[in-house]
Amino acid sequence: MLWAYLYLHQITLDTHEKTNSSVSNSSKYETKNKIQPQGIGKTTNRHAQQDKSQTPPVIVYCEKTNRIVQRNNAALQHGIEIGHGLAQAAALCPKVCIIPFNKEDERLILVQLAHRLYPFVSDIVIDAHNGLAIRLDNLVHYYGGHKELWSTITHELSLSKVNYHYATAWSIEAARIMALNSTDQYQSDRDNIKHLLSQCSLSLTALDKKTKEALTRVGIAYVNQLLAMPVHELGRRFDNNTITYLTALRGETFPHVTLFRPAEHFEHFTLLPFDIENTQHLTPFMVKLLDYLAHYLRARNLQTSMLCFHIDFREHPSTHLEIKSALPQSTVDSWLSLLKLRIENEVLPEPAVSLMLRCDHFETIDGNSGDFFSNAFNEVAQKQLIGRLNAKLGEDCTFQPAASDTHQFEYMSIARASSNTPELPFTSDIVPTFLFDSPKPLTQSTQVCFGPVRLHSEWWHDASRKRDYFIAQTLHGVRMLIFKDEDSQWWAQGLFS
Amino acid sequence: MNKSLSTLENHPHIWRAREQNQQEERFSLGFEQLDKALNGGVSTSGVVRIRTLTGIGELSLFKQVISKQRSHKLIVFINPPGHIQTPWLATFGIDAKQVLIVKPSSEKDSLWATEQCLKSTACHCVILWNSGVNTKEARRLQVAATHNDALCLLFTLPNTSIKHSSAALQTLPISLDLCLNYQHHALQVSVIKQRHGWPKDNIAIQNDWTPNNRAIKWALEHNKVKRHALHSVS
Repeated sequence: MLWAYLYLHQITLDTHEKTNSSVSNSSKYETKNKIQPQGIGKTTNRHAQQDKSQTPPVIVYCEKTNRIVQRNNAALQHGIEIGHGLAQAAALCPKVCIIPFNKEDERLILVQLAHRLYPFVSDIVIDAHNGLAIRLDNLVHYYGGHKELWSTITHELSLSKVNYHYATAWSIEAARIMALNSTDQYQSDRDNIKHLLSQCSLSLTALDKKTKEALTRVGIAYVNQLLAMPVHELGRRFDNNTITYLTALRGETFPHVTLFRPAEHFEHFTLLPFDIENTQHLTPFMVKLLDYLAHYLRARNLQTSMLCFHIDFREHPSTHLEIKSALPQSTVDSWLSLLKLRIENEVLPEPAVSLMLRCDHFETIDGNSGDFFSNAFNEVAQKQLIGRLNAKLGEDCTFQPAASDTHQFEYMSIARASSNTPELPFTSDIVPTFLFDSPKPLTQSTQVCFGPVRLHSEWWHDASRKRDYFIAQTLHGVRMLIFKDEDSQWWAQGLFS
Repeated sequence: MNKSLSTLENHPHIWRAREQNQQEERFSLGFEQLDKALNGGVSTSGVVRIRTLTGIGELSLFKQVISKQRSHKLIVFINPPGHIQTPWLATFGIDAKQVLIVKPSSEKDSLWATEQCLKSTACHCVILWNSGVNTKEARRLQVAATHNDALCLLFTLPNTSIKHSSAALQTLPISLDLCLNYQHHALQVSVIKQRHGWPKDNIAIQNDWTPNNRAIKWALEHNKVKRHALHSVS
């Protein structure tokens, strides 16, 4: 077995800088990611940080331990080191930007990275909030060599712009120790791995504190010393967990791990680099998410007709922004136009801190639907139009009328959302063009030109009423639907245009 | 000087009144006098403004144009002055599936919606009710309509334009401008302005757009005769 372990030591910081940089040149969101694939054996995978002097110092601070856990190069130049307290960091650089450390957020980002890698590698294990293990030996055969496989993986990682340390070994445990030790070498030869592993310090192992102390006391400081010990000797002195760990470290057992499985829906999460107060500034981040969605859909030959943005706030419950399209779509541009119309009127209750795009329902792209007949195109244009109008004016503002099964003028026409239910075709020349919201008292002098038509209300309606309907014309030539109720009061109810 | 004038004269957008016989396709309204005054009917695309009261048969005047042409495309009603009745649509000859009703909350939104509908290429005819448009808005709608081969009927009330008398005098850059009123038991159509044609006042249209009691009257008259006969028998 051969496992690679990726130790993403500053994943929160990387995501922060990625969102920052992607939005600063968001106007050309298509032209990003121009990083060359990196080959085997490169010592580090840090990308050239082009304008080191301009990036502000950023640190990630863990509140629980009061330690700085991640810092960027600008912060390093100010002398801030990992392990410093907040006060020390603030003293060294008053203008430092602080991001709170959150294990759960890091795990979410890691899951997203796993989603990204999944099309290339099958067996992924999410080991901790900042570690990924990938099984390599079963893939080498498909890629035609270690070199090809590893360059595929590193290329994908460089596109996702994360910094990481890595190592390969015969088991996850061994690879983890080497990655924590910043080995950063791809080795498939057993002896080389053994050599590299033996140099690692005992403190990097996942043994519990007590065991580590006990081992240090007898002068064991490096892994090679530990591995040189015969197992039965150790078994007498240490508990079962230690022995299990040691056998795993030697690669003598088959690992029992849960492999990562991608979710069936699309979900992408972004931490906003700063609190955003209006939707206008939120749009670039939404575009970014739509871009991820477009990649996701394109890779799977899918499209969707509904997506949902979750906007999270510090205190206020999160807002859900649903965007529907009459026609399933997959590209960023088509969704962007709807998104812009949708959020134009949205007001955020308080500054937003994070953003998530979720999409549950997908439709496969039908290869036969793309024909060139004008009617088919017309249908597409109609649906697009309805989608656009709904996005800007709201769902209730547009409707297609339908007839209902009644003779009463008030209930004849029903507004229905655009769907296809069977029609009830019925025509009547005494039905007016327009009906008022409610009958108005008749105040003008009119001349009756048609009528009477006596209509009773249906017995299943609560109020029974009897009305005599007429068509009458005013002096200006306006023809109205009027009626006389049971109390001989005259009312105007509609107009004939 | 002469030469530059002649190049100007050759410009295709310059129209001379003597070029009457335009080979442009037009939608007939179905009223002989009116079609004659309009050189065959309304043009197939562009904006038509109709200043009229609601309910004097202003939609029925365009019945042929709205219901008989380009029937596979949408007919959009924007900001109608009441609830449009589905049975009336059927009587009018429109399939309710081809109808979209839009009720925006403001005039600005309704103009936006009109422009979107015209631009979508999915609409045969967009019928808008509002309180009047200015030159810029009219130009936008006209361009959107002509470029996408759609018709826009713009209904405004006559009194609103009297209020802004300067706006009333101002002609809009649109295909056709009509004014309707009801006089002498007939609908009077005044052509205020039309492209490639002359204005004309008070064209009387006999248009029955509602049922009348003529049948009943006729029946009563016949009944009278019969009753008379009945009387003579008894």
